[in-house]
Amino acid sequence: MLFTLLSDRFFTAANLGGIADQTSILLVMAVGMTFVILLGGIDLSTEGVMATSSMVVVLLAANDRNDNDFGLLAVLAGVGVGAIFGLVNGVLHTRLKIPSFMVTLGVGAIGMGIATVLFAGRAPRLLDEGVRSWGLGQWFGLSKLVFIALFIVLIGYGIQRFTRAGRYAYVIGGDEAIARLSGISIPKYKTLAFVISGSAAGLGGAMASMRLGVGDVQIGAGQMFATITAVVIGGTLLAGGRGGVLHTVVGALIIATLANGLILVGVQPYIQVSLQGAIIVVAVAATGWHLRNRTRVIK
Amino acid sequence: MSAVAVFAALSLAACSSGDGGSDGAATGTPDGDSGDDVQLVLAIRSLSNPYHANWVEGAEIFAESVDKDLTVLSDDGDSQKQLSQIRSLIASGQTIALNVDPNTSSDTQAIVRAVTDAGGYVVTQWNKPDDLLPPDVGDNWVSHISFDGDESGYQIATALFEEMGGEGGIIALQGILDNVPAQQRFAGLQRALEEYPDIELLDDQTAQWDRNTGYSVTQTLLTKHGEDVQGIWAANDNMALGALEALKAAGRGGGEVPIVGVDAVPEALDEISSGENGYLATVTTDAWWQGGAPLALAYQAAIGEYDVADASDEQRAFYGTQFLVTQDNVDEHMSAPTAEELQPDLDDPFLRSVGPIE
Repeated sequence: MLFTLLSDRFFTAANLGGIADQTSILLVMAVGMTFVILLGGIDLSTEGVMATSSMVVVLLAANDRNDNDFGLLAVLAGVGVGAIFGLVNGVLHTRLKIPSFMVTLGVGAIGMGIATVLFAGRAPRLLDEGVRSWGLGQWFGLSKLVFIALFIVLIGYGIQRFTRAGRYAYVIGGDEAIARLSGISIPKYKTLAFVISGSAAGLGGAMASMRLGVGDVQIGAGQMFATITAVVIGGTLLAGGRGGVLHTVVGALIIATLANGLILVGVQPYIQVSLQGAIIVVAVAATGWHLRNRTRVIK
Repeated sequence: MSAVAVFAALSLAACSSGDGGSDGAATGTPDGDSGDDVQLVLAIRSLSNPYHANWVEGAEIFAESVDKDLTVLSDDGDSQKQLSQIRSLIASGQTIALNVDPNTSSDTQAIVRAVTDAGGYVVTQWNKPDDLLPPDVGDNWVSHISFDGDESGYQIATALFEEMGGEGGIIALQGILDNVPAQQRFAGLQRALEEYPDIELLDDQTAQWDRNTGYSVTQTLLTKHGEDVQGIWAANDNMALGALEALKAAGRGGGEVPIVGVDAVPEALDEISSGENGYLATVTTDAWWQGGAPLALAYQAAIGEYDVADASDEQRAFYGTQFLVTQDNVDEHMSAPTAEELQPDLDDPFLRSVGPIE
């Protein structure tokens, strides 16, 4: 709102379309992450998953490195790779009882390693026009990536609202001991949440490659922090049990709007980062304001 | 025969044995002039970027020319890991000839002191503290080589302004704002702007050296300034390539808006070569040379062929030559030089010095 007053360029169709485009990848990743955080876990493997997925997608679609040409199947493979990483996260976390932040950090590093091997010193370029058009093409003046993101939000909301996995996520995140006593198979649902998050990160990596036209190890740089921030700003508690997919949509929009608005208003780049941080702290404090009186443990 | 031993050292930061000191080990003098016990070492950030991959190729050309093995240390941008890898190698007792790209300026001192204490020889590149020069530490810090960011920022800016006919609006994508090369390159842009009064800098923003950020920042700036944007100056190729995709997405691709960057990453070279999307120019420091020639210098010092004590100030710290790459000369910079082409620079690593670093 403030940005609308300060810049006449902000509230234009072109800029709102730009914000939607800039939100799309972040949103897909954040929707997946929401389920893990709802359960009280965290997924720090997203950048590594994005890196591997981006390499896999580009190397399986038409590219300048080999003769593969699997078209959109390559994108599915990217999502599948993400799902496998998620499965590994979930199984290691639940079976070996290692804290999720440690497991996912390690698995993320494995992802970076695999991507580095596939990278072999040079970024392969995505030559498949069909796949590429998803990143550059538009429908109704909006980037096609925005429609992918909206589709994922719908799926995410559906899972959260209408499936057992979604409802149990709140129970487990709220109080794991009670959930266990009620006979809920906690490992199963936790693993599922990591698979969802991994698949979303896999799709995020694929989307980044569609947009930039390359497979790159660094394609997810900075995304993990932004993703977690989007989920938390939206109002999902890091301790689990509260929040949801629609909250995350708001959080992701806030982050993209901030980055966009500060540039349009003409804030000096030297102070933008601090300003962004300050606004995020204020936003998180404001969303949690009504909860502050209860006896709540902050972890 | 490619003789690269990739030394995948685990990060043993916890067990690094105190701070070197002058413990018993030979200080200063190599054991002999034959070079038999000198180990060639290249320490770089990662094998996953083409720039450092080219360093490795250049270093391999040198290693083969003197018929020795090359050890490559890759630290993934982790300063602690870089230092502990180098320490572990030194602990093996061989004299090392090290060519290193320190992660940050503050790492440089720790690295050169560790090598000096063990009697090895090191040439550093890019990063060092401003007030510290190799003679301050001793003869084992053979030389420091860097490249003048002011010059590269200026060269691409003038190439861009000439293409624009000397007038119009541009936007600038800066690197991470507290990085020295980012500041130098931007200063170069400003120097060029003074010479072209009809070019207007509409906006400058940081895109963190990153392609994705380059995309979204450019997208926003194109909305803000619309048709006024007649050219894009980026402090590195990654951001420029992101900007190029943002232009395509905004329906202004296809060469309508010329773009320039720095670093000569392979995709930028491909774009310059094809000329389809308006990618005009980049600057290369010649990564093959950076991998090979400084390693040759450290090796020559280690075997006593080059006497550091007699070196001039310029030889102890100098700026290397950079090349502006445009469509005219892009082919020369797209593939590794042959051993014959690189040999004169390996024999005399100072051939490309353009002046001392003060």
